[in-house]
Amino acid sequence: TGVNNFSSDTVISVEGMTCNSCVRNIESTIGIKDGIISIVVSLEKKEAEVTYNTSVLDPSTIATMIDDMGFVAFVKA
Amino acid sequence: MSQVHVFTVEMTCEGCSNAVKRVLDKLGDQVTDVDINLNEKSVHVTSSLSSDEILEKLKKTGKEVKYIKSSDV
Repeated sequence: TGVNNFSSDTVISVEGMTCNSCVRNIESTIGIKDGIISIVVSLEKKEAEVTYNTSVLDPSTIATMIDDMGFVAFVKA
Repeated sequence: MSQVHVFTVEMTCEGCSNAVKRVLDKLGDQVTDVDINLNEKSVHVTSSLSSDEILEKLKKTGKEVKYIKSSDV
């Protein structure tokens, strides 16, 4: 799929989202960050599935970025 | 000397106002009072920090934030 072998997936648990505008907000804010390849946020499952560049980011940094947005986030997988 | 800094923040739902509150709570005792009005999309923050420092924090929520004014307590 052309994605370099530096990419990996992680699942971040995200508490505090109540509607789709929170989901879109997280996806657009985190989506543009350096090292984020893709992010899908699920309101129902209260989690974010993130594909990231391992040479730039790690799961706990991603969780902190979401936490800085005012949601309660921690690495799930 | 604390001041009350007033901002407008593009909040659409309660989840958004909670997120703003949580971001400000992280500043701990540097912020002594937070008053968020969802309808008016206004956030009043009583703090010893400068409005710029608080503006920076609020921008991290990914929402549109505008600084309105500061007034002495």
